[in-house]
Amino acid sequence: MTDEELMLAIGNRDESAFHIVVRTHQNSLSHYVFRILGNQKDTEDITQETFLRLWKNAEKWQPAKSKLTTWLHRIAHNLCIDHVRKKSNAETEELDDSSATGSELNTALEQSNDLKRLSIAMGSLHENQKNALVLCHYQGFSNKEAAKIMGISVKAVESSMARAKRSLRKLLISSEAHNNKSNKAQL
Amino acid sequence: MTLKELTKIIEYYGTQSDCWPEVDRGAALNLIATDSDAKQMRSQYMQLEALLDQHQVPEFPNLESRILNQNLPARRKALLDKLLDWLLPATSAKLLWRPVLVACMPLLFGVVVGNFFNFGVNIEYIETAEYWEDELYLLSLNDYPESQF
Repeated sequence: MTDEELMLAIGNRDESAFHIVVRTHQNSLSHYVFRILGNQKDTEDITQETFLRLWKNAEKWQPAKSKLTTWLHRIAHNLCIDHVRKKSNAETEELDDSSATGSELNTALEQSNDLKRLSIAMGSLHENQKNALVLCHYQGFSNKEAAKIMGISVKAVESSMARAKRSLRKLLISSEAHNNKSNKAQL
Repeated sequence: MTLKELTKIIEYYGTQSDCWPEVDRGAALNLIATDSDAKQMRSQYMQLEALLDQHQVPEFPNLESRILNQNLPARRKALLDKLLDWLLPATSAKLLWRPVLVACMPLLFGVVVGNFFNFGVNIEYIETAEYWEDELYLLSLNDYPESQF
């Protein structure tokens, strides 16, 4: 069955069609959500809510405008943004102590290996930078599709991605320099 | 092509040359082949991509069953949508009588209303007027001189 047929069937409350769509897109969506939120429980909640919205609004999908996977990622993206904003509002008091957070981040970066450093650095990226990087690098979307999902221009996606990669590259270079220094000290 | 332009291409489209815009691909590859800084820059981005690829996502073993076993709410359709679905069913041509019936409704309505209301049209007046027209017509046939009236 094509995506159009599946979505038409879901519009007519066909649960078996819904199951097929869930099985096809669940992995990709949960991975995307996890890379944005970094939390297993929230990832499961948001992924479930994304499919619930698909069930409720199947007839709103316009195949001429976007692929089904792009549409689903857009729903998940909006839910993630809402979730992050709600969470950050709730944690305003903790965020007020930003100098402590910054120094904690630096300490963590210095003490960990490359992969852990990367993970921490990704967590510290700006919302749009992280989204652009995840959508294009991990989810395999083109810059144009990522722009549709994020609801911004292609130029803005490219600029966000460039900034994200630049800051991660700097991290990598400083990590290499740090490793070389410690190797020399050991010798 | 300059190093700055090549950096932009790699940042926008990744390190794999087949993802780069066709118009810039040749010049970009040429710069990498001839310029050591360009080669080093690409190699650093390749390292970064390899590191990004190592960043794994955990499994979500119960997520699929959680989504599939949830109670899916019955979707309420708007009244207009329901009416349109009934009127123009997508499933069978046998139900074509529905739009035909709806199309005939104004005609039937007109006939019924026309039988019960005269909308200010006085039929008796029309009959009287017709009567006087006949009278005048008959009078005109008589050959009386005007002095006799």
